[in-house]
This record gives sequence, structure tokens and C-alpha cells, in this order.
Amino acid sequence: MKTISNIAMNTFVKETGGYVAAQLEACTRCGMCADACHFYVATGNPEYAPVWKIDLLKRAYEQRFTLSGKVKLALGVDKPVTDEDIQKFSKIVYEACTMCNKCSMVCPMGLQLGPLIHEVRTSMSNAGVVPDDLMKAVNKQVEEGSPLGVTDDVYDDRIEWVADEWEVDIPVDVKGADTLVVFSSIEVMKFPENIAAIAKILNTAGEKWTLSTAGREVVNFGFYEGSEERTKMFMQRIFDAAKELGVKKIVVTECGHAYDALRWTSYNMMEVPAGIEITHIVGLIGEYVRSGKIKLKAGAFDNGVITFHDACKIQRRGGHIKEPREILKILAPNSFKEMSPSKEQAICCGGGGGVIAIKEADPVRYAAFELKIDQMKAVGADAVVMSCSNCRLQFTDCVQHFNLDVKVKGLSQMVADALEER
Amino acid sequence: MAEDSIYSELKKEGMSRRGFLKFCGLVAGAMSFTMLPPIEGLTDVRGVQSPVKHGTIEMVAKALQTKQRLPVIWMEFQDCAGCTEALTRSKSPTLVDLVLNKITVEYHETLTAAAGFQTEEAKLAAMQKYAGQYILVVEGSVTDLDDGIYCTIGGKSSMELLREAAAGAAAIVATGNCAAFGGLPRAKPNPTGALGVYEVIKDKPVVNIPGCPAIPEVFTSVLAQFLVFGTLPELDALHRPKNFYGTAIHDRCLRRPFYDAGKFALSFDDEGAKKGYCLYKLGCKGPTTYNSCATLKWSGGLSFPIQSGHPCLGCSEPNFWDGGGFYQGQSAPISKPTGTVAAAAVAAGVAIAAGVGMANVAQKKAAHSADKEEEE
Amino acid sequence: MNWTAVLEFARGPFFKVALLVFIAGMAYRIARIIMLGWKKDRVPPRGSKVEGAAISFLKGILIWPFIPWVKDTFKRNPIIYIAGGLFHLGLFVVLILGTAHMLVWKSLLGFGWATLPLPIVDWLAAVAIVAMIVLFIHRLTNPVMRLISGWPEWLNLLFVFLPMVTGYMMTHHLFFRYEVLFSLHMLSVNVMLIWIPISRISHFVFYFFSKAIHGADFGKRSVSP
Ligand code: HEM
Ligand code: SF4
Ligand code: SF4
Ligand code: SF4
Repeated sequence: MKTISNIAMNTFVKETGGYVAAQLEACTRCGMCADACHFYVATGNPEYAPVWKIDLLKRAYEQRFTLSGKVKLALGVDKPVTDEDIQKFSKIVYEACTMCNKCSMVCPMGLQLGPLIHEVRTSMSNAGVVPDDLMKAVNKQVEEGSPLGVTDDVYDDRIEWVADEWEVDIPVDVKGADTLVVFSSIEVMKFPENIAAIAKILNTAGEKWTLSTAGREVVNFGFYEGSEERTKMFMQRIFDAAKELGVKKIVVTECGHAYDALRWTSYNMMEVPAGIEITHIVGLIGEYVRSGKIKLKAGAFDNGVITFHDACKIQRRGGHIKEPREILKILAPNSFKEMSPSKEQAICCGGGGGVIAIKEADPVRYAAFELKIDQMKAVGADAVVMSCSNCRLQFTDCVQHFNLDVKVKGLSQMVADALEER
Repeated sequence: MAEDSIYSELKKEGMSRRGFLKFCGLVAGAMSFTMLPPIEGLTDVRGVQSPVKHGTIEMVAKALQTKQRLPVIWMEFQDCAGCTEALTRSKSPTLVDLVLNKITVEYHETLTAAAGFQTEEAKLAAMQKYAGQYILVVEGSVTDLDDGIYCTIGGKSSMELLREAAAGAAAIVATGNCAAFGGLPRAKPNPTGALGVYEVIKDKPVVNIPGCPAIPEVFTSVLAQFLVFGTLPELDALHRPKNFYGTAIHDRCLRRPFYDAGKFALSFDDEGAKKGYCLYKLGCKGPTTYNSCATLKWSGGLSFPIQSGHPCLGCSEPNFWDGGGFYQGQSAPISKPTGTVAAAAVAAGVAIAAGVGMANVAQKKAAHSADKEEEE
Repeated sequence: MNWTAVLEFARGPFFKVALLVFIAGMAYRIARIIMLGWKKDRVPPRGSKVEGAAISFLKGILIWPFIPWVKDTFKRNPIIYIAGGLFHLGLFVVLILGTAHMLVWKSLLGFGWATLPLPIVDWLAAVAIVAMIVLFIHRLTNPVMRLISGWPEWLNLLFVFLPMVTGYMMTHHLFFRYEVLFSLHMLSVNVMLIWIPISRISHFVFYFFSKAIHGADFGKRSVSP
């Protein structure tokens, strides 16, 4: 019989190539990454130090790939990885890591800790030690096409309702459109106004776009889980839809993790249909603004203090740092204030990476958000804008939880509200 | 004749009482470098006034009036006679002359007037006559390799001759680095298997006076002490008199302040050299060399190598020929891998890595196929 | 014991062997990593990987060490950042710009260079030693550091500390005779040379790997690493 530690170790062995090994070799165990991680800073729990989160990966590497590791194992100074180890670390890497990769900005050796922790999750997922809540959501996405239960019917209903309610045209399943827009079910279920807003922007810009019922879910719980198989499965649905409709571009809406998966990971995992560009809605809006395809009312939101929350996977890990700022400088030239730190150095909201889907993680999730509260207080923010609906979920929940007097806004929505009529 | 005291011998040679006392003063002076009680009213070779203590000259005079000449047998093996040269050409000729000629009788291969078997016989006669009393001075290293053929005198190997002479000696003084530690003959690859005396003779006291050459004043001092008091100086682990070999050259060096300030001469004719900067970078071995050069100096206290601008070679230390290049800073490694050997090391590392790497790749493949089977 | 012989051994054959172990060991480590292979990155980039890597090194070597306070994590642990920085500064200055060490390089490489006056090197050595003690105390007391430190981490500190202290004592002729300290210095240096390839002190090589990976990962996203 195969134990979970067996399977996990086997996975580690498969994952370990030069990329992983070179970085593991470089770590000096200086511990500086600890102070970068919002979960460690918020709780003071040493097990939340990023370097500790990759400890299993390191041990697997040493024990399986290096002479010194084998000697250590033989001498008994290092112990074989046990099932308990795997179980213990499962809690740590799923509940107390958002894969935000802030730690890599601090690591003097530049370890890409986020991606390495993702490798650890992959082992956990193969060994089947994923937190129940998260696994339920994954299974739901496998079965129903969406972790939030947005089935075909629900989707059609919701989109129709949004189109009616906000009086916008929303093309669905239009063959020959240029652009396939894929929303996240968070937007579909919790922030429908976002859908209306994005539709309005795309229409104003004259984009030939469409939604797809088959490829309707951009959220990728397989990626949260770390399962290569399911990550691919969910992305395949989108790629199939894109091929079916014959689009040239796929636009990921306000979901960070999905963007990381689709834009930055898929190519190395599977066949991405040729000739299709993948981009993020923030990038697209930025392009519209720069090229003048849409015009924004200058100063439309210029009151109080507005700040921007960088989503780890869209800004630091996605690259769309400039666009939101260019937009906000038009919309709120005087009110817009940066938090510190921001941009690629920004602090994570604490809800990403699937953490918000895990009930047991609530205490650390709320604790981590307190860092964000401090940041917002420091600039005296009345409103905080972001481009990721997962962050937005965390913000909305935490604003309620902590009873804060801060408005939480989506960037696309602000843009839509400030559109100059053509 | 031998029964006569030194004083009567000297008197026979026409020395006055006044001259004798002066002579006693000189002998006492020679010993003043030793750790004997400080001697009164004397200036040592450095011209430094020795701390005064009453009665030392009288003590020496008494000894010289009662004691007989000290028999010395001086043997040379694998040497260059440099120590002898240094002694005889010493800038303090009176002292050396007095000690070597007036208070000792000797068999000395270089200085003796006789030659061939005649000298051998004279030596054997002296050894017999003074059995158990004489000091054996050895200059040069001995060798036993290939039956000792690399150094023979009158058909006998150096090792045989040394053993023969050592048997009847009261004490042995190994003068110069060769006799003490093997010296130049022992430099790599040591073709003759040269050895220092104290490595061969274990049953007699051996005093090493290393140096290339040994400092004459140190040599005479040891002899004088033995003559007057019948004792040998206290020795360090390398059998060197502690009083002369107790401090490193570096610790008494006149260029030391420059060392401490990090000011170095970089070549023999640069500004630094002209300003008298430290010679560390030019290979000075002063920090690890124990000798009295920096205090006694040479040529009657005139100068010593470092003062004259040349780095210390470390000539009073074992293996100084192989202790790194003379003109290479002391921190430079003594032996280092050649480019080829280093490349071989890289190759060895890569070879091991290739083995381990192949095993690793195979392991990864196995992990992948194990997974595939699972799926099927 | 005859220290001259010990010194000769430590500066001679032992050093040679240690250096060879070091060279072979590092070659092994690097080659082993390379043998694991790199998957080709098929992601279409938004920015230049090479540029990213270049900026990554620029920041890591020339910018952050000199203005660390602009980083928010610095504010949480300034003493450790400063201690780590000063230790490395001291180490590099001592090893490269110290006269004695330059002569080692010269003997190995065949060329030398100008060195700093001893008092400066000496002060930096003292600073580095103090910094190491601070880092040691930090490792001993900080819960994260305790968690992630196994015996190899403690040995890392020890094996770097010994050459530092013996070198410093040697320069100042403290407590023992020069050749004794020189011997101890060389023995500890040799032990360190042998230890480097089997330990994490080898990070000075893998730094270039991981920083390049980091820079490329950020560069391809057109984010400043
Ligand atoms: C082949 C390698 C090495 C050799 C031959 C060597 C030799 C020396 C020498 C000759 C000195 C000067 C002592 C004096 O001024 O009297 C010295 C000082 C020193 N060495 Fe080394 N060393 C080596 C490697 C190292 C290493 C690897 C370290 C540190 C990890 C180190 C740390 C020091 C320190 C801290 C000093 C004191 C500097 C000062 O206070 O000015 N050495 N070394
Ligand atoms: S990726 Fe983010 S959440 Fe995870 S360990 Fe690093 S800093 Fe913490
Ligand atoms: S900051 Fe980087 S080098 Fe330091 S312990 Fe963390 S991962 Fe390792
Ligand atoms: S010249 Fe030689 S003995 Fe004198 S201080 Fe310099 S290193 Fe030391």
C-alpha cells in the first residue's frame, strides 16, 4: 500500500529539477523571509515562516538527490519524511500561505518562495491531504463547472439578469468574436455589478467580445489545490471554448489566481491554442485609456482619500502595476494615495490562494488583514480600490468583520462609472 | 699541559693579570646575553649597559683560574663552512678568538693545519683523551641514505662519524640550520636524506644554534656558559637556547610600526622601500622566525637583513627552504595545486556529479512511470 | 608540540588537500544541479528576462545593501539586516583587501592588487566578528531561527567564526605565539574550505543561480524584481 508520505515524496522527486534544486541550494536559512509574510507577522507563529513552508521540499531534495542528505539520513541526523509531517505541513501551506510571493522580494537570495510552496501543495494534493473545505470547492468545480455552483443554467440566468438590470449588451457564445471574456464565479454571484461594468467598458471601446457558457469559469481551484491534473482540466475548458468560438484573445477578469494560472502557468503545463493572446482586464482597460478608445471623466472620484490595493497575482505576479495607477491618476488625481509599501512590494490581503475558502483559516486570515488595516489607516483611506475580486471578497468580509469605515471598490466599476459617453 | 688551568695557559702565552681580568670581563660579556644573573659594569655587544651585579667577573676569573681549557671537537658534514666563516670573520674577533683559541682546544676540519689521516688520528686521540668531557660541535647535516655514501670522510659515513664522536661527548652543539634541522641539504626533494643532529643523537644533550649561519655571539655564549658554569642554557622545543630564540624577529623588528600601520614596501626599490616600510609583502618571515637578529644584529651590532632592506628568510626555523618562496608573502600557501591538478579536481567533482545526476534522473523517470502505472 | 611543523602542514599539504576538496566539491554541487535539467519556459513574456536578471543583481548587490531602510521588512529587524550586511562587508574586505589574503590570491591566481591599510581592515574584521556574535545570538533566540536551524547551521557559524577570530588574534598577537595562531588560523581555514561544499556556505555560488531565476521570473512579467 502506498502511504501519503510515499506519494508526496514521489511527487517531490518529479517536481525537482534545476529550477527547484538551484533555489533550495541557495537558501542560507537566514530567516529574513519570515518578516515578509503577513501570516507570520500577524501571528508570530514561526511555522508560518516561508522558509519553513518549503522544509519538506528541501528535505525531500536532500534525502533523494544529494550525497550529504543520504549520509545524514543514514546517520540518523535527518529523519525520513513521515505521514504526520505531511499532514502537519498541509495545514501550514494551505491555511497560512496565499502564494503572494512577497517573501521572494525580501529573500536576499531571491528564492521564488511562492512557486516553491506551490510545489509543496502539489505534493499534498497528490497525496490527498488537502483541507476539506478547499477540496469540496475543487470537486464542485470538477462536477458543476464552478466552485460556487454556477451551473450552465445559473450562469445564463445571472447574465441575462445583469444585462437587464444594468441595461448593457452582453454577447454570449458569439462565434467569430475577437475576444473571449471569462468572469470568475465570485463576480457572477457576489459582484454582478462588475460584469455590467466590464460589459459597458468593452462595448464603449467597440470591442468585438463574447462570453462562453462552456468556458464560463475563470477561477481555478485546481491551481489553489496545486493539482496539476485539475488545474489543466479547468483551463482546458476555457481553451476549448476559445477554440470553438475562434477568438484571438482571452481576457481574464478580476481574478488574480486565475490570471497566474492562465497567463503564466498554462504554457508550461499543456497545449495552449496557438495565436491566442491571454491578458487581464486591467491590462486591456489600460490599453483602451492609453490609446484613447475610451475616455474617462477626469477627477470623477476626486474626493476623500482613495488608495489602491495591489493584488499579488495581478500586480506583483501579473505585471499590471502601471495601468491601475495611470487610471487612478485620471479618476482621482488628488485623492489617490499610495499605501506603503505598494506595487511589487505590496502586502497581500491575506485571502488569496484559496485561504478564504477554508473555514479553519479564518483566524489567521483576519489576523493577516490587520496589516492591511494599518496600511490603510496610515494613508487615511476612505476607499480602497482593487482589481481582483478575490481580494475584494476578503476586503468586504474583513471590513464587516472589523467594522471599518472604508469603501471597497472594483477598479473596472470605477472606470465604467467614469466613462465619457461617445 | 692539559692539567694546567686556563689562566696558567694564558699566562704562559704572556697575558698579564690585567689582561686576564679584561678577558674575564669579555667572557662574562659573552654570557651576558644569556639568562645568567645580570653582569655588572659591562656593556654587551650591543653596547647596552648590562645591569650591574657584583662579583661576576670575579666568578669568571675564578672559574678560569681553576678550570682547564674546554676541549672542543668540531666536525663538518654536509655544510658550506659558513658558520665557521661567520665565527672567524666575526666583527667581535677578540671575543671569538679568545673563546675559540684561548679557552678551547680543538679539532676543526677547516681550521686545522694538518691534513689527511693525520687529522683523523689527531681527532681520535683528542676524543680518547677527553672522553666524557669534550663538546662536540657539528656543522652540517648528516645522512644515512644509501649507506651514507653522500657524505664520507676517510671512508666513513657522516652518520658513523657522528655516532663515534657523540659517544664520548659531554654535550653536542649543532651550529647552523644544517646541523640543527637539515638546512639547505634537506630542501625538497632532500636527495641525500639529510637529517639534523638532534634527530639522530638522542642520548646526549644537543643544543641547536640554528641560523644561516648561526650568530657567532650566540655560539660563543653557549660555550662560555658551559666552560664557566658547566651548564647548558635552557632550551625550547626545538632545542634552541630560549634566551636567544625566545622572541620572534617580528616582535623586535625596527620596521614593525610600519607593519602595524599597514605600510609595506612593494618592491625593493619603491618609495616604501626607501622609507623603510615593512617587508611583509616582499616575503618577510619575521613573524614566525625566532632568533636574535633584531636585537644582537650582525657584524658587531651594525645591522641585520631587515634593517638593510632584505626580508627575513626564516633561517633559524626548520625547513626554511621549503616554507614558501623567500620573496612570497608569508600568507601565501606553501603548496598549492597546479592548474592541472585543480582541473583534475573539477573533473572528479563533475564525474561524481554525473554519477549522482544520472541516478537522480533515473529516479525522476521512475517516479513518473510509477505514476503512469497508477493511472492505468 | 612543534607548532612550526603544524603550521607547515596547515599551510602546505593540508591546505592543498582542503583546496582540492573545495574545488571538487563545488564542481560536484554545481554539476549536480545542472544535470537535473531546466524545463524550457514556453510562456510568452511581457518583458525581458535578461533585463530582469540584470536588475535583480544590481539591486541585490549595489542597491539594497546600501539603502536597506527603504524596505519595510528592514524596519522590523534592522539589527539583523545591519549585522548581516556588516558581516559580509567585513568578510569581503578582509579576504580581498587584506594584505595577507591578497598574497594568497596572488599566489593562487598569479596577480595581486593594492590593499587597504591594516587599521581599516582590522576594524572591519572586528566589526565582522561582532556582527557574527549578533547573528549567533539572533539564531539562538529568535523562534523562527531556532525552528529552521539544525546542527549544520550552527556549524556554519562556527566554521566561519574560527578563521575570523584566529585571524584577528593573529594580527594582534593575542595570547599565543604567532605561529600557534597562524597554525590555528590555517587549520580553521582548511576545515572551512572542506566544509563549504557540504554546507550552505556555498550559497555564494547558488546566489547567482537563484537571483537570476528571481530576476527572470520578474523580468518576464515586466515587474521590477
Ligand atoms: C588561505 C587562506 C588564508 C590565509 C593564508 C590567511 C592568512 C592570514 C594572515 C597571514 C593574516 C594576517 C595576520 C597578521 O596580520 O599578522 C590573516 C588575518 C585574518 N584572517 Fe586570514 N587567512 C586565510 C583565510 C581566511 C578566511 C577564510 C577568513 C574568514 C573566514 C580569514 C579571516 C581573517 C581575519 C578576520 C583576519 C584578521 C584581519 C585583521 O584583523 O586585520 N582568513 N589571515
Ligand atoms: S507567498 Fe505570501 S503568504 Fe506565502 S509564505 Fe510567502 S509571503 Fe507568506
Ligand atoms: S529569506 Fe530566503 S534565504 Fe533566507 S531563509 Fe528565507 S528563503 Fe532562505
Ligand atoms: S619587516 Fe618582517 S619582521 Fe619586520 S615588521 Fe615587517 S614582517 Fe615583521
